Amino acid sequence: MDYKSGVCNFCGTGCGNYLRISDGKITGVYSSRNHPVSKGRLCVRGWHIHEWLMTDQRISSPMIKVDGSFKNVTYEEAVNFMMEKLSPYMGSSAKAIGFLGAPRWSNENNYLFMKLARSVFKTNNITLDSESGHRGSLNVLSKVTGFPAMTGSLEQIEKTKFIMVIGSDLTRINPIIGSEIHKAQMAGTKVVTLGSRKTQMAKLSNLHLQCRPGTLKLTIALIAKVAIEKGYMDKNSASSMAGFNDFASSLAAINMAEAIGSTGISLDDIDSVAKELCGSESAMAFWSTGISGADEDTVSYIANLFLIAGKVGKENCGLNSITGLANLQGGYDMGVAPDLLTGFQSYSDGAVRSKFEKAWQVQLPAEVGNDVYQLLENKNKDLKVLFVAEHDEGIVKYEKEIANLDFVVYFGSYDNPFVNHADVVFPIAALIEDDGTYTNTERRVQISQKRIQAFNGVLSVRELFSMIAAKSGVKWSYNSSEDVFKEIASLTPSYSGLSYDKLINSTGIQWPCNSEYPNGCKSFLLKSGTALSFAKVSGTFPAVNVSEAFPFLLIPGRGEYFWHQNNIMKKSYIPKREYNATLLVYPKGFIEINSEDAKKLQVREHWTVKISSDKGSMNVSVKISEDVKPGTAYVPYFIKEMITDFLLGHSDKSDMGLDATIPVRIERV
Amino acid sequence: MYLIEKENVMKIAEELAKNYELFGPVVDKGTGQVFFDRVNDSSEISLSAEIPAIPPKHVVFPQIERIMKYKYDRSAKKAEIEAILDNRSKAIFGIRPCDLTGLIVLDRFFLGQEFVDEIYREHRKRMFIVSQNCIAPFKQCFCVCTDSGPFADEGYDLNLTLLGDYYLVEAGSDKGKELVQRLGLKSADPSYAEMKKKANDKSISLFESIATDNKAWISRVMNRITTGFIKEDVWEYIGKQCFECGACTFVCPTCSCFNVEDHNRFDGTTDRLRTWDSCSFEGYTKMAGDHNPRHPVEDRRNKRFFCKLSYSQSKKYLRPGCVGCGRCQWVCPGDIGLPNVVTYIRREITE
Repeated sequence: MDYKSGVCNFCGTGCGNYLRISDGKITGVYSSRNHPVSKGRLCVRGWHIHEWLMTDQRISSPMIKVDGSFKNVTYEEAVNFMMEKLSPYMGSSAKAIGFLGAPRWSNENNYLFMKLARSVFKTNNITLDSESGHRGSLNVLSKVTGFPAMTGSLEQIEKTKFIMVIGSDLTRINPIIGSEIHKAQMAGTKVVTLGSRKTQMAKLSNLHLQCRPGTLKLTIALIAKVAIEKGYMDKNSASSMAGFNDFASSLAAINMAEAIGSTGISLDDIDSVAKELCGSESAMAFWSTGISGADEDTVSYIANLFLIAGKVGKENCGLNSITGLANLQGGYDMGVAPDLLTGFQSYSDGAVRSKFEKAWQVQLPAEVGNDVYQLLENKNKDLKVLFVAEHDEGIVKYEKEIANLDFVVYFGSYDNPFVNHADVVFPIAALIEDDGTYTNTERRVQISQKRIQAFNGVLSVRELFSMIAAKSGVKWSYNSSEDVFKEIASLTPSYSGLSYDKLINSTGIQWPCNSEYPNGCKSFLLKSGTALSFAKVSGTFPAVNVSEAFPFLLIPGRGEYFWHQNNIMKKSYIPKREYNATLLVYPKGFIEINSEDAKKLQVREHWTVKISSDKGSMNVSVKISEDVKPGTAYVPYFIKEMITDFLLGHSDKSDMGLDATIPVRIERV
Repeated sequence: MYLIEKENVMKIAEELAKNYELFGPVVDKGTGQVFFDRVNDSSEISLSAEIPAIPPKHVVFPQIERIMKYKYDRSAKKAEIEAILDNRSKAIFGIRPCDLTGLIVLDRFFLGQEFVDEIYREHRKRMFIVSQNCIAPFKQCFCVCTDSGPFADEGYDLNLTLLGDYYLVEAGSDKGKELVQRLGLKSADPSYAEMKKKANDKSISLFESIATDNKAWISRVMNRITTGFIKEDVWEYIGKQCFECGACTFVCPTCSCFNVEDHNRFDGTTDRLRTWDSCSFEGYTKMAGDHNPRHPVEDRRNKRFFCKLSYSQSKKYLRPGCVGCGRCQWVCPGDIGLPNVVTYIRREITE
């Protein structure tokens, strides 16, 4: 039989699949009926992963840039070239070097990437690419529960009685999770969606709280406020937790009537949600992390609301941060962050650091590093060298800053616009050309086995990095990905009970898996002795005032569209057609406005309008949609000019995640 | 009618494997999922396995298939073009009646109309088909509602029915007869025809207790779909639940929509590929200038059910397009597998 089991590599859901491999080539994909997460389902991307994996748009040979143009060389030559160029920047603590990791890479590859940065290039400037929001969720969850990841389990969605989906359209970003929520709703679970746009998720809910753009955080705060003031809350435990008084008094400071006015939601709706959430036997919250996902402050309000409702650490409950990329959670688990080692162990902790120093037999720099994107945004003068792993986005942000660096190294399997910014390019083996484990959004570690030979004989990350380490006098002796995983397990308390043997004969195991949880841990359950505490909140809510000059509230977001012209999606046929259709029809991008506003502006579908804010302007086409309310507008960013010329000017806003709102003026052109 | 001992039935597959590439139901050891796929050895086949997750459609209509190869020489301004036809002889062993009916529908689409699809024909014309009747249904089955089982009527070279310790072997073609003779199978006396009929009746009677997942009383719904007397909001209710994944199409034994793409190879040649496609995708019907005759998702959904369940379409297939296998129901992220859609429409009729 030609079908071999595997794991989908698009979003963070971690659906099981079967790839059809005939005579060493990929010839198809099929869904996995017995997989506990996907249960026979796949989304449009998952049903076409074979199209991406069979692409010939690969990097086929190591390349070095000489006098501005690339030259094919051997791995040996490329490594020599790189080490020679980098010698001036190598030191005991290299502030000059940054590492940008890939949230789609396996745990093993990410671990080695982190190890290469720290033990060979002595830098802690390590950041996961395309991720911005997930870390905020991890910080809050770790603070509140001591559990640095989604606390619930996808398998328990069908059992929970109340679901709150905040912001993003899960039916598009993580469709199988959206499906699971939809099925729970059909079976009687109450589903409430919060968000400014009427998404498919909202349409499939019992109740959609369509708040005005920029007031999502406020809406959540109001639900919490009502829960306390009306006495719906879990009085026995919540009020005795650390931080309760601070949170309660920050809520008390909100003027209810004013706040209700700015959210545009009725007090009755807020009241009924607060009451049902608190009164329900179990409840889960879902929010997307990553770009256009929830920011740290919003996540703090969500977590605190659920503490007040008494829905944390109980059966079939969960604070569920949903990752949009296959191994975003795993990337963090592997310590691809300036201040973390594996399993969310703090780099600043001397005992942890010396454990790694002993295992790696190197001296590590004592100071934590910086976020690479922040260094780029601040035009940091110290940063001179950048190592980049498989850049997923077809659009390169901070293009100018990257062009000004002295030296850029790129590791990747697929052809990508980022390659042109590199001085040396290393092709590496892709998914299913090497064994690797991936950790989905609910901490499920799954193995994807090697099924085909590497394209054109390219090396695996393990082989290549060992070669680079050897060149700098450090001996890495891994014979397989399994060897790497053994090292990870030995250094990571939450992974210590995992092994390839266990993973190969399972559909994944959810960490922590160790002596305390020998079979893994489906969801975070409160035990006697563990204490929950409230997260600190800002207590401030951005004013979202329109003015005569800028009468529309614009919501920027990736939505279901061709997010940053996703590079791997471009290598498929059907998903590319589906996503590209938008790009072909709206080559300049589009703005979604309500038909009422279209009438007022005297514009029709496809007409060009000029959008201006206090920072700049851009021209886009009109798309008329009832999914946005009058007075609000939605722009999905998938056009290079939109990101670099318009939205990067508002980067202060995009840090606000779900509540990012830009007051704009829309004019006919 | 002939007989073969139950323990010897795989001898038929072994005999076929001498001259054909062999396909049959296989159980994945790790997960227990059943596939219908190519085997290297007949011992991999499990005739008693449940209805396979994937229908044998991909044997004649692969998920992705090279149909042509070309190379353009820029300096000489010359193109070399080579058609690629799959001329391997294939035997499918143990196909169930629903999937066999699916194959017949595909034949009528690809071969039975004005245009004959030569790629499909090449897959199909050297094929040997051994079907097996279902002496009991599975949980997901509703072929009794769609007239496509549990026993096969036509389309096979050999048809197997398990009757106690023996398989009753019926030949449906000269090729089949010839194989039976080569194997020296003994003839079955006429009483077996009666036994087979009883087995069929018994299988049908088991649907009520075993096949509990789906029911689809389609005749009234066919009438409604054909005449268009279905309220807009029913289609909207259905469309709202469509995640536009295409799964229902991919797992359907009768869905035949495809896409054609050119795949540029690393060596400078180009492969022309034919891939599965789905009417649920917006890009499938999109035309130049953003015109789309089926823009809202509910219009695309209703097209699928029109294709499966309208008289005009059934005239082309000489039967309804649904064969009652139940696969679309378990792959759907919404809750709009065909049996459920039939239920939603019937609910409206009753109301």
